[in-house]
Amino acid sequence: MNRYVKDLLLKLWCGISGIMVLSTLSFIIIYIFMKGFSSINLDFIIGAPKGVPIGSEGGIYPAIIGSVYLMIIACVFATVLAISTAVYLELYCKNEKLLKIMHLVIHCTAGIPSIILGMFGYTFLVLRLGLGRSLMAGGITLGIMIFPFIEIRVEKILNEMDKNIVYASYALGLPKSYTFLKLLLPIYKRDIISTVLLAGGFAIGAAAPIILTAAVMYAPVPRTVLAPVMALPYHLYILIGEGISVENAYGTAFVLIVLLLTMNILPILNSLSRGGE
Amino acid sequence: MGIISIKNLSVSYGNIKILKNINMEINERKITAIIGPSGCGKSTLLKTINCMVEEETLSRVEGEILFKDNNIKEMTKEDIRKEIGLVFQNPTCFPFSIYKNMVYAQKYYGNTDKKKLKHMVEEKLKIAGLYDEVSNDLNKSALKLSGGQQQRLCIARALTVDPQVILLDEPCSALDVKNTKNIEEMLSKLSQDYTIIIVTHNLSQAKRIADYTAFILNGELVEYSDTETLFSNPKDKRTREYIEGIYG
Ligand SMILES: Nc1ncnc2c1ncn2[C@@H]1O[C@H](COP(=O)(O)OP(=O)(O)OP(=O)(O)O)[C@@H](O)[C@H]1O
Ligand SMILES: [Mg+2]
Repeated sequence: MNRYVKDLLLKLWCGISGIMVLSTLSFIIIYIFMKGFSSINLDFIIGAPKGVPIGSEGGIYPAIIGSVYLMIIACVFATVLAISTAVYLELYCKNEKLLKIMHLVIHCTAGIPSIILGMFGYTFLVLRLGLGRSLMAGGITLGIMIFPFIEIRVEKILNEMDKNIVYASYALGLPKSYTFLKLLLPIYKRDIISTVLLAGGFAIGAAAPIILTAAVMYAPVPRTVLAPVMALPYHLYILIGEGISVENAYGTAFVLIVLLLTMNILPILNSLSRGGE
Repeated sequence: MGIISIKNLSVSYGNIKILKNINMEINERKITAIIGPSGCGKSTLLKTINCMVEEETLSRVEGEILFKDNNIKEMTKEDIRKEIGLVFQNPTCFPFSIYKNMVYAQKYYGNTDKKKLKHMVEEKLKIAGLYDEVSNDLNKSALKLSGGQQQRLCIARALTVDPQVILLDEPCSALDVKNTKNIEEMLSKLSQDYTIIIVTHNLSQAKRIADYTAFILNGELVEYSDTETLFSNPKDKRTREYIEGIYG
């Protein structure tokens, strides 16, 4: 075959794939916006669910707040663990075998189906530790889910940094802890924040880990971390699954998508504003 | 007795021995030059003296190094590195302002008095011969300086922790004649207060500034004497050949 034709075919294939992906994605988003927009009004956003069965009328305010709380707990829990793991592996660990084992474990954790994480959270956190179905149990389960996501990215950031700068700091007689806190963290703060925001988006949309550990059909806005919560993905699942209200389900999906898009756009703004520095 | 005594020092990476049984006395407040062909282990020697080799995986150090009669193995890495500073071959400025680069280490020691810090920054920058060029904008990013200025900033930064010994790994390899001259003049001045060990590829540079010169070949210390003797009357045939340009 003529190599110009080959080249043309390759270009065509890439172009068509791109268009297909883009159009599917925008179709989903636009479809949900169109369907959901009609049920969106102020009461829907700031009201509690009402009616019999519950959710057929009223709003989703407790679910929005519940989802945001779950995400915050998950992010805090996962970020603290992920950053310390990444720093240990990149700056302290000199043992090649241990490094390999840790990487294997982290990559495996990333591959665990989220419903199995939910089951673990249910047996261990909810029953064994006695947290009950609660914000805490769900937040930690979601945290376990996004931990590898954050860890792998933070480790990559640290791995790609200029080692000579780190050595220069050591050569001044400064310990690794100071080097990390005062040199690496300020330099990579933005990248790490972007990663955490993306991970938060991942957590807020997940239903499987919270079905068994945190979410319930109806609960007010939680006052303690040990209270059960409503969450958007679970509320959506109940509204459709139990045939309660398709319109309200699309409204919920609409709100969830808006939250997700925000979480994904924030990192882009975050990196854009760096250009102005 | 010198300020640093190196005794039967061998360093290996994995199974490969890089430095073989080095014995050397470094004299206080003098400039000692280390010369030798590429890959012979000069940088490794410097990195061993201030414990930086320990950061490399698979490195192993045998023998001992005494700093003022104390075995460095019995001191903490941080203490040794504070006393024995190292300036790398390529400038390693932190991506902060010039001022922040200079106060970075002092902040660790709890020194936060603005006036004192400012005074210290000014003093060290002057010693490194950089002050006049940057005094009007210390908040400029260090990465916007020229290569030679960055190298001098790194030397000034190394001085901020008041080391007694300064190790320099080919500080002039990327610089032009004028910048090289600046740095050489500064080093000669510095040697009144500090002990300096400098690795250089430039034999005439060693001749110009060093009081003592050591020649390393394939990880062995072939010859070590005062610069005058080493260059005019080398005892070892290999040294003469190197000086005459045979190993390049
Ligand atoms: N981290 C490391 N792991 C394994 N081998 C290394 C490592 N660092 C250096 N070496 C090897 O040690 C030898 C000496 O390296 P070194 O950097 O000390 O040479 P050098 O004399 O400074 O050379 P140059 O003049 O080119 O800078 C080289 O053969 C190099 O391949
Ligand atoms: Mg070298």
